[in-house]
Amino acid sequence: MEQFARVIRKDGQTIRYLIVDDSVFARKNLSRMVESFGGQVAGEAGDGRAAIAEYDRLQPDLVLMDITMPEMEGIEAAERIVRQHPEARIIMVSSVGYQENIVAALQRGARHFVQKPVKADVLYEVIKYVMGEDCVVAKGATQGS
Amino acid sequence: MTFFSEDRMAELRQLFFESTQEILQALNEEALRLEKNPGDAETARSIRRAVHTLKGDSAATGFRELSQIAHELEDALAPEVTSAAPAAELVELVLSAADTFDGMLAAYRGNLQLPSVEPLQACIARLRSTGASQSETAPRSPAAAAPLMWSEYQQVAIHRALQRGKKVYRIVADVDPNCLTKAAAWQLFHNVLQRTGEVLAVQPENAGSEQISHLEVVIASDKPEAWIADRCRIPAVIASATVSAWKARQASVSAAAEPPAVAGAASPVAENVLRVDAERLDQVLNLIGELIIGRSMLQQVLGEFSRRFPKDTLRNKFADAMAFQSRVLNDLQRSAMQVRMVPVEHLFRRFPRLVRDVAKQCGKEVALLLSGQETEMDKSILDAIAEPLAHLVRNAIDHGLESAEERENAGKPAKGTVRLNAYHQGNHVVVEVGDDGRGLDPALILKKAVERGIVGSEEGARLSPAETLDLIFRPGLTTAEQVTAISGRGIGMDVVQSVVQKLKGSISIQSQPGQGTTFVLKLPLTLAIIKSLLLRVQERLYAIPLNAVVEISRASEDAIHRVDNHEVLQLRNTVLTLVRMNSVPAELAPGKRIFVVVIALGERRYGLIVDELVGEEELVIKPLDSEVIVSDLVSGASILGDGRVVLMLNLSAVVDHYSRRSLPPLASPALPAPGSAAGAASGGAQ
Repeated sequence: MEQFARVIRKDGQTIRYLIVDDSVFARKNLSRMVESFGGQVAGEAGDGRAAIAEYDRLQPDLVLMDITMPEMEGIEAAERIVRQHPEARIIMVSSVGYQENIVAALQRGARHFVQKPVKADVLYEVIKYVMGEDCVVAKGATQGS
Repeated sequence: MTFFSEDRMAELRQLFFESTQEILQALNEEALRLEKNPGDAETARSIRRAVHTLKGDSAATGFRELSQIAHELEDALAPEVTSAAPAAELVELVLSAADTFDGMLAAYRGNLQLPSVEPLQACIARLRSTGASQSETAPRSPAAAAPLMWSEYQQVAIHRALQRGKKVYRIVADVDPNCLTKAAAWQLFHNVLQRTGEVLAVQPENAGSEQISHLEVVIASDKPEAWIADRCRIPAVIASATVSAWKARQASVSAAAEPPAVAGAASPVAENVLRVDAERLDQVLNLIGELIIGRSMLQQVLGEFSRRFPKDTLRNKFADAMAFQSRVLNDLQRSAMQVRMVPVEHLFRRFPRLVRDVAKQCGKEVALLLSGQETEMDKSILDAIAEPLAHLVRNAIDHGLESAEERENAGKPAKGTVRLNAYHQGNHVVVEVGDDGRGLDPALILKKAVERGIVGSEEGARLSPAETLDLIFRPGLTTAEQVTAISGRGIGMDVVQSVVQKLKGSISIQSQPGQGTTFVLKLPLTLAIIKSLLLRVQERLYAIPLNAVVEISRASEDAIHRVDNHEVLQLRNTVLTLVRMNSVPAELAPGKRIFVVVIALGERRYGLIVDELVGEEELVIKPLDSEVIVSDLVSGASILGDGRVVLMLNLSAVVDHYSRRSLPPLASPALPAPGSAAGAASGGAQ
């Protein structure tokens, strides 16, 4: 796995993630990636409804959200979360074929999107971008996994 | 190479020279406009159009060199270059191009050696390199791509934001080619910008197209430019983005949208306007003049007929016919004169450029106020005063206006003002050149005049303030402390005055220390036909322009006094300097009644002593060849109805000549010297 400079919050805290996907494999994959960036997976959810509950409970810094899920689609979950928490940073994760869904999610408040299969370097840049001024790249502290 | 006959070609060239004057004028005007509104795309376009027209016209006329350099300039004025180049440089280029073209045209016209175009080519090259280097700062940046067109609505939105004082930015972005969901990319980009500021315009307008690769957005934002640029570089979505502060010139520049240059676009001449050679017009006017002479002849004959046959019924019929013909003739004369009349604007429009150049050379900030441009005057007079007026304006900027520092110390705005104004006053056109500068200092003028021996110190001390100011019209006097390249070489003001006087006009000065100076040029409406007063001096018939006559008075010789070297007459409560064209009697004949014609020259008045008044007449003035007459005392001649020739006096020269000659020593009143008394008696009053 590639090595990434650790991305942390501006206040020095580790960035906390909520990972939402109905596929356990996908969740694992994403978890490993964010951990390689120096982040911490605060929680996981397998559907939209659970994602909303987990967000309320965990108040993570970032959400990685799949679009196609049972119970409640990612778009609706994203919309509800943003309505409750306008500051929520949600990155949509989706296959190419779901462009309209991505657009819809973006229109409802998602901050960014990445395409499956997710590439770590792309996700890394996207995360840095979405965190914007609220994150810093820790100097020297490179963490591999 | 031409399919036109020689004649046709000559005519074509003539037309070309005339129309290019207008193009050059337009170039000058547009360049100045661009200087005022840097980056105005519309102005830049119209400059390019003018150059394009010039290129085409000169090629058609066979002036290859001009066409070539115009072509190079047109290329250099492409929107992508003009929008990137510094406005000041662009303005300089256009102005110097106008000058170069002017020089080339003059050379073509006079079959002279063409001026070198190298300086202009160097200018063009410089503009191109700065234009290129500006876009090189972002190599192959999206900004260099063909700019998009903003819709009316978008332009209004942008305009409003600017009016509200918002900072407006133009962002050009390329979508990451690896991003396969372009619509999502569009949406995300849009989202990001909405968080950055107020999105005013987006191209393309919605996410619908799958083919989006290039995005252009205009936003209003309080965020710094660098920050916006940073936010626009969206990973995985936007490959590159450039942010630049919005400039009006980016409004709608599009190569494709540029309207094709219309031939003659620079000359907005209506269809029913004819270009007529001034010479042909003069000919018509000349013939009308002959008709007027014919009328006087007829009138004379009619007078004689009436005297001989006072009872004849035919007399009334003659008189009626004469009156009718006379009325039509008057109308004809007026219409013909009207044809020669052009608005002063033709002259005034040259001045913005002149003022700009001179102000720049002097390092001063100068505003030019024009008024009365619609005032009409004879074309030949207009042409004749162009140079004097330019001289006055140069003087006003160079000497009249103080430096910005001096002005501020005096509590005046740092920017000086030069005014050009024109209006009709009776049979005259008045043109004023004024400045709000330091004003003329009579003491300084007097000091210089005495230093240079223009006036004696005693004589100088007695001059009124107005007379002192008039000294600046004497040859060899300049009050400039410094002689600059622009003015102050001691030639000029006397030339200005002589030109104005040659036109049977006058020039006067109004000056307030610390508040400015105004030169007032009073010019006749026309030169060809002048209402005149006929008078007789020593059996000779002369004419003077009636509009110079203020009043006619009678006086007796013993009312004339001598002051210094002048004869004066007290007329009511003013003292009038007298001008005697005949020899001055050593002894005044008491009780002898004389006519005094009070004439106005500028602000000053003189009394012309004449023997007899003959009457008023409309005279058609014919210029006199210098071979026929070598005196500047006479400005022309005319033929009266009875065939007599009358000379038109050049009043200012007459006054100058006769008032300055020294008077013969005044004999003692008790015992007049016999010799001088006899001489006076023979040459003087009879």
